[in-house]
Amino acid sequence: MMSKNDIHPESKLSEIIISHPYVILLLEHFDISLPVQDLSIAQICKQHNINEALFVAFTNLYCNKQSIPSLNLTSDDAITITRFLAASHRYYSEQIYPEIMQLIEQMSQQNNHREMKLVSVFFADYFKEVTAHLDYENQIFHPYVECLVERDKGIISKEIHINYSVSQYKDHHDDIEMKLTDLKNLLIKYLPSRDDRLIRRKLLFLLSEVEFDLNIHSKIEELILIPLAIQLENKFKAVRT
Amino acid sequence: MKQTHILILDDSPVVREGLKSLLDSMRNVHSVSIAGTFEELMHLLERKSFQMVLMSPHYLLTHQSQIQQLRSQHNSIKWIGVQYSLFPEELLNKFDGVVEVFDDQERLSAKLNKWLETASDEDSQSRESLSKREEDVLRLLALGKSNKEIADELNISINTVITHRKNISQKTGIKSVSGLTIYAVVQNLISLDNY
Repeated sequence: MMSKNDIHPESKLSEIIISHPYVILLLEHFDISLPVQDLSIAQICKQHNINEALFVAFTNLYCNKQSIPSLNLTSDDAITITRFLAASHRYYSEQIYPEIMQLIEQMSQQNNHREMKLVSVFFADYFKEVTAHLDYENQIFHPYVECLVERDKGIISKEIHINYSVSQYKDHHDDIEMKLTDLKNLLIKYLPSRDDRLIRRKLLFLLSEVEFDLNIHSKIEELILIPLAIQLENKFKAVRT
Repeated sequence: MKQTHILILDDSPVVREGLKSLLDSMRNVHSVSIAGTFEELMHLLERKSFQMVLMSPHYLLTHQSQIQQLRSQHNSIKWIGVQYSLFPEELLNKFDGVVEVFDDQERLSAKLNKWLETASDEDSQSRESLSKREEDVLRLLALGKSNKEIADELNISINTVITHRKNISQKTGIKSVSGLTIYAVVQNLISLDNY
């Protein structure tokens, strides 16, 4: 039985966004702008040429539904997914992380505790780690997936990035959410306050937003993109031997 | 009160959703997560701490070595089998406990509480403030010492250092060394001069 809250191709996006505002991030990562009028998921997908099943699966993640159905994905979907992930990388590195850094700076000026200076350094170091992580995916892993797709479609035939494989990416894939949670705990439980209620609240909301998006981001990578890339990889192995 | 997070692994949506709705309504259960595949289970275990995992016994047959490894990594978790068809006794004995699909809510609740109590006895020592020894470990950690150096300095084994570190992170909610250093400064365990 399908319950009222289930998400399906006929669901209206506007209604989903009202109860789950973070779905706006999903739209942005798909490069879809508001307003969405009364369009259903199926209609939006048709307009933007996105696989409906994939869109529904992603929307479920953004609505806190944990389980991912088994999806029957093609190489076209792999491209949709890498574009989606690349757009979220821009959201991290150009929007939300700089915004967070700015607030930490403000808080550190206002709240002249020595600890806040340490927090600035902590976050700047962390941002460097995140940037390195995202650069690696942008420059190595995503182009590799795109090569796999092109080979799958017969666009290119020669061996490319032959020294690379998905398993290397899996090894390289580290946890970039941990320090966000650390910072939230420091702000909520320990860092002394001096008239910083407003900034602290804004900061915590931003941290929660990026943590939410990152969590889904890694689920998409680990549970959808990596298995799909391995599938594409194996196809060639089978052909080559 | 101690929070209980439960994880259910089952490939049948009927079983996992049904169990989830029964568990969700139990008073001392804080959250119930579900996984439809073994990969999802591994993913969730990496990201969140659970006190109990419920799964169909057939996973012990298909993912034996992975489960063994997970159990040694997460030794505070209670691993519970969900029995809905006949499984050999020696398989069921490998679990910390077994629930049956015919258990009603009352029975389910009684079983779970019993298992969770034995789990919480083991880590019920004060959850908030750090012990003297944990503070010692944290101080050295914040000064940039390695596990080995801390072990030598405090005359304890590396394993004990690791256990202390685990407890420190559990109590404070902070896992990274740089985050813990800030905590140590805030709590005046180290001064900025020696940082």
